[in-house]
Amino acid sequence: MRRAVGVVYLNLHSFLFFHVLSLCLGYSPPGKPKLTSCRSPEKETFTCWWEPGSDGGLPTTYALYYRKENSDAVYECPDYHTAGENSCFFNKNDTSIWVNYNITVVATNALGSNFSDPVDVDVVYIVQPHTPENVTVTVMEDKDGPFLRVSWEPPRKADTRSGWITLIYELRVKLEGEEEWEEHRAGQQKMFNIFSLRSGGMYLVQVRCKPDHGFWSEWSSTTYIKVPDYFPRETSVWILIAVFSAFIFFILTWILNLKSNSVKHCLLPPVPGPKIKGFDKQLLKNGRSEEVFSALVVPGFPPTTSSDCEDLLVEYLEVYTPEEQELILEEGKDLQEGCLKSKGSPSDSDSGRGSCDSHTLLMEKCGEGEGKEEKHQERAQKGKRQQKHQTGWEEGDVSHTREDVLSPDMSEGRVKTWPSVFSPLPQYSSRPLDHQGSLETARQLCLSDSLFPPPSTSSHLSYNAKEGLALGSGQQEFYLGKKQTHPSNPQSQPRWHLQAHSDFNISSMDRKQAASGLQLPGFRSTEYVEVQRVNQEDMVILQPLFSSSCQRDGHLQIGQGEDYSKVKGVDSGNMLLLQREVEVKREEEDGDRYSCDIQDRVTESCYTTSTAASSQVTGKPTSCAGTAMPVQEEMVLAANGYVDAATMLL
Amino acid sequence: LPSSFLCVTVSAVWVGLVCLLFYSRLVRVGAAPICTNGQAGCHILSLADLFDRVIQHSARMHGISSDLHSEFEQYFFPSKNHIGRVNRICHTSTILTPNGKENAQRLAREELTEVILKLLVAWRDPLWHFQQSIAHHHDFNNFSSNKALEMSDMVHELRKGVEKVAEKMQMLGIISNSVNSLTSPEALIPSDRAEWRLMKDYVLLYCFRRDSNKVQNYLKILKCRIIPQHEC
Repeated sequence: MRRAVGVVYLNLHSFLFFHVLSLCLGYSPPGKPKLTSCRSPEKETFTCWWEPGSDGGLPTTYALYYRKENSDAVYECPDYHTAGENSCFFNKNDTSIWVNYNITVVATNALGSNFSDPVDVDVVYIVQPHTPENVTVTVMEDKDGPFLRVSWEPPRKADTRSGWITLIYELRVKLEGEEEWEEHRAGQQKMFNIFSLRSGGMYLVQVRCKPDHGFWSEWSSTTYIKVPDYFPRETSVWILIAVFSAFIFFILTWILNLKSNSVKHCLLPPVPGPKIKGFDKQLLKNGRSEEVFSALVVPGFPPTTSSDCEDLLVEYLEVYTPEEQELILEEGKDLQEGCLKSKGSPSDSDSGRGSCDSHTLLMEKCGEGEGKEEKHQERAQKGKRQQKHQTGWEEGDVSHTREDVLSPDMSEGRVKTWPSVFSPLPQYSSRPLDHQGSLETARQLCLSDSLFPPPSTSSHLSYNAKEGLALGSGQQEFYLGKKQTHPSNPQSQPRWHLQAHSDFNISSMDRKQAASGLQLPGFRSTEYVEVQRVNQEDMVILQPLFSSSCQRDGHLQIGQGEDYSKVKGVDSGNMLLLQREVEVKREEEDGDRYSCDIQDRVTESCYTTSTAASSQVTGKPTSCAGTAMPVQEEMVLAANGYVDAATMLL
Repeated sequence: LPSSFLCVTVSAVWVGLVCLLFYSRLVRVGAAPICTNGQAGCHILSLADLFDRVIQHSARMHGISSDLHSEFEQYFFPSKNHIGRVNRICHTSTILTPNGKENAQRLAREELTEVILKLLVAWRDPLWHFQQSIAHHHDFNNFSSNKALEMSDMVHELRKGVEKVAEKMQMLGIISNSVNSLTSPEALIPSDRAEWRLMKDYVLLYCFRRDSNKVQNYLKILKCRIIPQHEC
């Protein structure tokens, strides 16, 4: 009893002594080990590694214990050595898949032991295969160029053949000298192609794998491959396209250069600028309107008093030989028709018609009017040839065609183109002249002006008096103005009137007429115009003068008072000189009746404006008388009786 | 006139170039439809195609279960120690399943097919209830509940697919006709209904994750055993 107690006391004492001695010497129980990882390379075996803690200075042993799922039996690691130091290897027999392992490592030394934290492990989720094996890289040729073919095999131990493990692969490539790898997933296939290589480059290739649920393996060892030199095919196609495009571009540019003007005209049409005579853009830009408008006042426009009415009229007239007249007559038809401006009624009162300016404008528009004028004159000079037309007139049937033949503007008795036009034979009703109004008279006056050109300009008339005289069989008097055909005058001879131009010719003709006698059939009577008034526009308003003494036989009474209807002339200053008439009573014993007009008047002035009347006076009163009666009411305007009011108007 | 002619020429050239560049993209590849009952105009599924389909299905199912399990682990069991102490008992532990490659290869095809079907049948009801409970719990977001729903649907679909594969195999004479008799759900579900009701959601997910992995693996083994030349 005493011995047992003594042994126990001795053991306890030695134990305590040992421990105190150990502690005094610095030894301690081992530190806590730590299970670092457990891995299975093929899902059939697995290995666990731990990390030992401090050993406490004393030799320490480690043991691994595990428990399987839902069982309390504790097993120790079957193999501590296969996997190396501080490891435990579980072989196939000891490995169960889809079973939860509870693993603990115990470190033990003389002073004590220490347990690690337990770890639950299911083999399915700790699979990390080995690296793929037999990685081979070859350069293969394609129509697009060379490419790399990488092939490999699964790690030896992983059983993919039976479907136990399914591995997916990954490879990475980089050029030698680069830092970044280019990674590619290859899936379950064991081969991969790499394109778009740099010619002559050295490539590095690595492969690794992973099970569908597990960890990636390590990268395989690097495989080196060199790509041979080649020329990329894509580039050549692009070069071809670029060259072709450049070629087309150059051609386009060249053509554009050639046609730059037309292109510019097409894209940027020129903006029409103002083409007003006297318009100055600079003044407009300056912004002062007064200057702009004042600049528009060009001295030549509008025509002022200085200009001659004659300027607005045709200046030149050409006379053709008779044989050409017919031809031109025919031709003239078309032109005349085209130039007909308006065809008023025969009884057109000419209202609304302007002064002689309107006629001039009309004439100017008809460019061929000049030619017509010529034709007209020719016709006038034709005399006899036109009798047929005259008959037309006499009958009072002024047809357009008839008139057209004669003169384009004679239609309806209108004077359209004035100098050249024959005196239209208006179908006047027997109404007093004053119905015509001032405009009419003005026109008539205007017409007469041409017959009263300034002496200096008399030469401008191309009409040759001699020629005119040569026309026809005899002397022909030219009347200006309207001649009213009296239908009731069967005896009225066809007559025509030539308007215009023949002023001086007439005068010259007068003498000759006196000699040869006028053969002009028909009654020519001239009419005097009385100055009615001068209106504010400096217009001389004239009215035809009817002598009440017309009715009386033989004895004509001129209206009382002075009358200034006689034109003395036009002086150089373009002033119309009116002559005071001296009443002359004349009696003709032959009983001829002179017309109311000029015949009764004696004018001493042998002006260039001497009219037919004067010639009549000196001429053949007989002829005049023959037709005096009916004609008296006619309003025949002789050339000399009219003042060209055109100048006055202006 | 020459400028207009040039315009036409240049535009035609450019149109031609553009067409040339994009010509390759205009080529398309058509795919033939897959028919189930041998209809005309479609190509009939072969056994290999069927296997591929069910294997893909099972892989997807396992992926969803893994996601749900890790979500649970994160939010409900942050400490690992706690996990270790949980006693995980799955209601399908009564079904004998091979735990290794040799064991699985030792099994006959019919048996292997049977095991697969057993597992799939056993999980149909628990997953449905699990999805119901998740839907009513507001702790889970929509993402989790959608996954749970998809998971339960997939079990159902996968079971049908495996049954079709078994039919096909039987038709081809690969396996005997003994499998059909085992597919009835009443015979397969063990009478431990009460057990899975006691399972917590986390354990359920843990168990299902493992069982889906088993199914996938067994299918792969089956496939490579029957059709070895196809990706094995």
